[in-house]
Amino acid sequence: MSASSDNELPPGEKVRLGPLGPQVVRVAGAIGVIFLIATVILGLTNGDHMRRFFHSYLIGFTYFVTLGLGALFFILLHHITRTKWGVTSRRIAECITGVFPLLFVLSFVLLLPLLLGHESFYSWSNHDFVAHHEAMEHKTAWLNAPFFALRVVLYFGVWMALSRYFFKKSVGQDASGDPAASDQMRRAAGPALFAFGLTLNFFAWDVLMSLEPEWYSTMYGVYFFGGCGVMFYAALALSSMGLRRRGIAAKSITVEHYHDMGKMLFAFIFFWAYIAFSQFMLIWYGNIPEETAYYNVRIMTDWKWISLALLFLHWMIPFTFLLSRHTKRRLPLLALFSVWMLVMHWVDVYWLVMPAYSPGGMAFSVMDITATLGIGGLAVATVAKLASGVDIIPTKDPLLGESLRFENM
Amino acid sequence: MSEHNQTNPPADGPLWGLLAEVSTPTELVSAAAKVRAAGYTQWDCYSPFPVHGIDRAMGTKPTILPVLVFMGGITGTGLAILMQWWMNAVDWPWIVSGKPYFSLPANIPIAFELTILLASLTAFFGMWALNKLPQVWHPLFRSDRFAKVTNNGFFLAIQADDDKFDREATEALLKEAGATAIEAVHLDADPKKKKMPRQIPAFIAITAVAALVPFACIAKARTSKSSEPHYHIIPDMDFQPKAQAQQASALLPDGRVDQMPVEGTVARGELKADDHFYRGIVDGAWATTFPEQVPPSKESIERGHQRFNIYCSPCHGLSGYGNGMVAQRAEKIGSPNWTVPSNLHQEYIIRQPHGQIFNTISNGIRNMPSYGAQIPEADRWAIVMYVRALQRSQHATVADVPPTLRQTLR
Amino acid sequence: MDTAIDKDETPQKSTAAAVFQRVTETVSGVVERRTWPKAWYIAFAISCCLVVLLGISLWHLFFTGIGIWGTNNTEGWGWAIVNFVFWVGIGHAGTLISAILFLMRQTWRTSINRSAEAMTIFAVMCAGIFPLIHVGRPWVVYWMFPLPYDMDIWPQFRSPLMWDVFAVSTYFTVSLLFWYMGMVPDLGTFRDRAKSKIKAVVFGVLSFGWRGSAKQWHRYERAYLLLAALATPLVLSVHSVVSFDFAVSQQPGWHTPIFPPYFVAGAIYSGFGMVLTLLVPARYLFGLGDIIKKSHIEAMCKVLLLTGSLVAFSYMTEFFIAWYSGNPYEGFTFFNRVFGPFQWAWGIMAFCNVVVPHFFWFKKCRTNPWIIMGLVLLVNVGMWFERFIIIVSSLTREFVPATWDYFVPTFWDAATFLGTIGMFLFLFLLFLRYLPMIAMSEVKAATPEAHADHHGTH
Repeated sequence: MSASSDNELPPGEKVRLGPLGPQVVRVAGAIGVIFLIATVILGLTNGDHMRRFFHSYLIGFTYFVTLGLGALFFILLHHITRTKWGVTSRRIAECITGVFPLLFVLSFVLLLPLLLGHESFYSWSNHDFVAHHEAMEHKTAWLNAPFFALRVVLYFGVWMALSRYFFKKSVGQDASGDPAASDQMRRAAGPALFAFGLTLNFFAWDVLMSLEPEWYSTMYGVYFFGGCGVMFYAALALSSMGLRRRGIAAKSITVEHYHDMGKMLFAFIFFWAYIAFSQFMLIWYGNIPEETAYYNVRIMTDWKWISLALLFLHWMIPFTFLLSRHTKRRLPLLALFSVWMLVMHWVDVYWLVMPAYSPGGMAFSVMDITATLGIGGLAVATVAKLASGVDIIPTKDPLLGESLRFENM
Repeated sequence: MSEHNQTNPPADGPLWGLLAEVSTPTELVSAAAKVRAAGYTQWDCYSPFPVHGIDRAMGTKPTILPVLVFMGGITGTGLAILMQWWMNAVDWPWIVSGKPYFSLPANIPIAFELTILLASLTAFFGMWALNKLPQVWHPLFRSDRFAKVTNNGFFLAIQADDDKFDREATEALLKEAGATAIEAVHLDADPKKKKMPRQIPAFIAITAVAALVPFACIAKARTSKSSEPHYHIIPDMDFQPKAQAQQASALLPDGRVDQMPVEGTVARGELKADDHFYRGIVDGAWATTFPEQVPPSKESIERGHQRFNIYCSPCHGLSGYGNGMVAQRAEKIGSPNWTVPSNLHQEYIIRQPHGQIFNTISNGIRNMPSYGAQIPEADRWAIVMYVRALQRSQHATVADVPPTLRQTLR
Repeated sequence: MDTAIDKDETPQKSTAAAVFQRVTETVSGVVERRTWPKAWYIAFAISCCLVVLLGISLWHLFFTGIGIWGTNNTEGWGWAIVNFVFWVGIGHAGTLISAILFLMRQTWRTSINRSAEAMTIFAVMCAGIFPLIHVGRPWVVYWMFPLPYDMDIWPQFRSPLMWDVFAVSTYFTVSLLFWYMGMVPDLGTFRDRAKSKIKAVVFGVLSFGWRGSAKQWHRYERAYLLLAALATPLVLSVHSVVSFDFAVSQQPGWHTPIFPPYFVAGAIYSGFGMVLTLLVPARYLFGLGDIIKKSHIEAMCKVLLLTGSLVAFSYMTEFFIAWYSGNPYEGFTFFNRVFGPFQWAWGIMAFCNVVVPHFFWFKKCRTNPWIIMGLVLLVNVGMWFERFIIIVSSLTREFVPATWDYFVPTFWDAATFLGTIGMFLFLFLLFLRYLPMIAMSEVKAATPEAHADHHGTH
C-alpha cells in the first residue's frame, strides 16, 4: 500500500553533513592526538612501568568499544524485528560502528607490550603473580599473551566485518533503492546476533574481568552489555540533537523518535540496574570469599563512594526522571540526561577497571581523563569522516515512510 | 422526527440526549472535531475500540492516572521496607545465615514486588473509579442501535443538559457532522425504577454476609475460651502412634506403659549432690582433705602427673613455675593480652586448701579458662594431688628423704 | 428505519464495518456455537480424569505425608520444585506477550494475547500448588504471609522462599487484573449479543457496564499501558526471584550470578512453547486462521529460536566459567551433569533446548503445523528436564560424597504432575468455551480499517 510518494523525505530536508563534517574531523582529531600524546607523556613520567597508563587507556578504550557495540546491537535489533521508528536514526548507528577499525588499531597499544613480554599490564601476564596464586596455574591455558591477543583480534575482526557489511549494504541501498537489500540485511542479522553475543561476552571476560584474574562471574558479560546499551542510546540521542541544531535530519528525526530513544535509554538503565543488583545480591548473599573479594574492594574501601554514586546517579535519579514521558519528549531534558548517562557510564567503566589498579582505595589521575579524551577525539573524528561521505538518513529504505509518520501512543 | 421507533421501549421519560451514528472511525474523529468547535461540553464519543486521534479531536485532558500509579508504587516500596525492617529487625529480631537483622539487599525483592503490586492495583481500580464504572445501567443502553458500539458502531452523543443543547440546532449540527442516523435517547419514565433485577443486590448482600461468617467464627475462637476439644481437621499430628502415660501396652513385660526406673536412678538435680567430690567444699569451707572417691595413692599421683602434663604444663610448665611453652612464646612475641600464668610454688598457692585448687581447675581464674568440661572430677583431684607432690618436691629438705636412701645423696 | 437520515453507504465504508463485524462474529462464534468439535469433548473428558487423579494424589499426600514421593534426605526438593519452576516458567509467555510485545508495538500479539494471558493464570495456579504441598503441612501455609497469627512471630524476609511467596502471588494478582481488564470491552460485546436475559445480566455485570466512551477509552488505554509497563519488570522479576531460590545458596551448579536472566530466557522459551502447543490445534479446531495468522505463528517460532539460543548461551557461559573458575566443586558439578548418572536427562535437555530451536531457522519448520507441534512438544519436555537437571543432579552430588544418592520418582510424583497438566487443560478448555479467547477490540484496533488516516487523508 505504500506508494513511492509515501516513502520520501520531507521536502527541504538536509541529509548531508556538508562543511560540518571536515570541521568536526579537524577539531576532534586534533583533540585526540594532543590528549593521547599528553597521556603517553604522563604515563612515561609516572614511573610505574606504564601500569597507570595502561589502566587509564583501557578505560577510554573500553568506553568507546561499548559505544560501537551498542550501535551494532541497535542495527541488528532493528533489522531482525523490522522496527519502524529506528529507520531514520539507523544510519547514525551505522556510522558509529565505523569506530571499530580505529579501536582495532588502538588495541595494539594493549596487545603489543603483552606479546613482547611486558608483565605489568594484566596481573595474569606476570610470572611472579601466577607462581604465587594457585588458582592461576589452571587459568594460564586461557589467559596467556598469544592466545589473548589472538582472541582480541578475532573479536575485532568479527565486529569490523559485521559493521562493514551492514554499512555497505545500507549505503548501497541509498543508491540502488533495492528493497531486497533490506531483506538480505534482515536475514543476515540473525546469525550476526549470535556472533555479536558471543564476541561481546568473551570480550568482557577477557579484557575486563581478567584484570582481577582470580575472580569470576557468569553475569559479567551481561552487565557489560547493559552498559553498551546505556552508552549507545545516550550517544544516539545526543548526536541526533547535535545534527538537529545544524538543521540536518531535523524533520526526519522528530520528537516521536526521541521519545523512543529515551524509552530505550530508560530500559537499558533499568536492565543495567537489574543485572548489577542480581550480580551483587547473589555474591553478597552467598558470601563465598573468592567471590566477595571483588565487592570487598569496591565496598569496604573508599571505592564505596563510587559504588554509591553508581547506585544513585547511574540508576535511581535518571530512572525516576525518565519514568515520565515529559522528560523523554522535551529535548533539553533528554539531552541533559543523555550527557548525564554518558558521564555515569564512564564512571561505571572506571569502577570496573580502576579498583584492579589500586585495590586499597580511590586513586585519581589526570591520565584517566586525558586517555578517554584522546581516544574519544580520534573516535569522533573517525565517525565524522565516515558520516561526511554518506546521507545521514537511509533515504531509500522501504520502511522510511512509516518511520517518518511514526507516532507514540 | 426520529421518534417513531418500534424496537425501543416507549420514550416516556425526559430527554437524555441525542445519539448520532457515523460509519467509520475517521468520520467519528471529524464529527468530534466539529462538535467540539461548536462549543459543546456535555458530550462523548463511543466506539468498539479506542479510535486513534479522537482524544485530540475531543480535546480530552490527559488523565492523572500515571501520577496516582506512581504514588501507589512509592507507597508499596515504603511499606515493604518498613514492614521488613519492623518485623525482622525490631519486633522479632533473629539472626539468619550470618546476615544483619536489617539487610537491605535481601529486602529488595519484596520491596520490588510490593511496588509493582500496589502500583498495579492503583492502575486497575483507579482507572475504573475515574471512569465511574461499574455502572451497569445507563440511558444509552435503552437504544437497540447502541448495542453495535461493542461490535462495529461508532457513535456520538450530546446530552440534553448541555448549555448549548437545542433539539433542532443540535440535530442539524450532528447531521452536518456526518451522522448516518440520529435518535433521541430518553431516561426511564420512572426515575426510581430499578433496572437491576432485585435478586442481584440481594444475592450480593447474602454472599457478602456469608463470606464474613468464617471470619466471625475465627474472631470468636480467638477471643473466647472453651473446654471442648478442638476440631481435628488434619489428624496426623494430633493422634500420633505413640504410647501415653497410664496406658496399657502389650509390648512391655508387665503390660503397663509406665515402667519403674532402672536400678540406681537418681532424681533430677540430685546427681551431683556430693559437695566434697564435685565442688571441693566441706561444711561451707574449702576441703582440706581428698574425697573418699579419690584416696591418695601412688596410682592417683601418677594419673595426676600425666593429666597435668597434658592440660596444665603448656602454660604452667612441666615443673609448675609458670614457664610453659605457651607462656614463653607469648613473652617472646610480646602479646599485649597475655596474663602470665601463676607460678604454682608461690607461698599463697601452697597454703590454699585442696578444695580451692580443685575449684580453680574446675572453673578457671583470671585468664585461665574452666577445665571442668574437659577433665572429669576424679582426674581433677588427681591433678590436685600431683600439684601437692610437686610443691612438696620443690620445698623438700633432707628430712623428707627416707633414711635408707639418704646415702645415695651427694 | 427509525432514523431521520439514511445516507448512502459507500462500499469502502461498509468494508470497514464488515471487517469489524467479521472479527466479532469469528470470535463470539467460538463461544456461541451449538456443537463443539469432538476433539474438545475428548480433551475435556481426559482433563477431567486427570483432575480427579490430582484430587486423589493430593488426598493421599495430605493424609500420608510427602514420603509418598521419591524425595529423600539427599534430594529434598524433587519433582515438586521441578514442577513448580516448570509451571511458573510456562506462565511467563502470557504476560510477556501482553506486556512486553505491547510496549514494543508488536501488533501481531493481539491475536494471541488473551489466550496466552489465560494460560499464564492457569499455569501460575498449577505452579502455586507445588510449594504449597511440598511444605509438608499445607494447612498452616498461611504462616508464609505476614499475618499476626497466634505464634506471634513473623516470616523471615531474608529467605528467598519468602521472596517467592511475594513474587508469585503478585504475579498472579497482576496477571489476573491485566487479563480481566483487557477482557472487559469484549465482555461488553458478549452482553450486547446475549440472546437470553440471564446471559445479558451476567455479562452486563462482568463488563462493569462498559459503553466504549472515548473518555473512558482514554483512561482505559493509559491504564493498560501502565499495567503493561508494570508487568514487564514484573515478568523479569518473577523468574529472577525463582532463580534466587537456587542462586543465593552455595550449592555448586546453583550459585552463579547469571541465573536470573538465564531463568527468564528459559521461562519465555518454555512459555512460548506452551502457547504454540495450545494455539496451533485451537487455531485449526475453531477456524481462527483469519485472526491467528500464519505470520503470527512464525513470529512465535522466531521468539523460540531467539530465547532458545539465549538458554544455550547461558549453558555455555556456565560451563565455561565452571572450568575457568578453577573451582573443583563447580567443575565437578558440570562434569557430572554430562557424564554422571543423570547423563540421560542432560542429553534430553541439551537436545531439546540447544538443538531443537535451530530447526526454526527453516521456513518450513515455522509454517507446517505438524512440524511445529512436534518441535514445541520437545521444547516443553526440554524445559522440564532443564529444571530436573538443575535440581536433581546438583542435590544428588553434593560436597560430601557420603550423601550421594540417585533419585527415583514414585507413581505419586507422576500422578501429581499429570494431575496439574489435567487441571491446566481443564481450565483452559473451559476458558475457550465460555470467554472471548481473542481480544476483539484489540484485533479491531489493529486492522488497517481502524486507522483514521487509512482512507486517503494523506
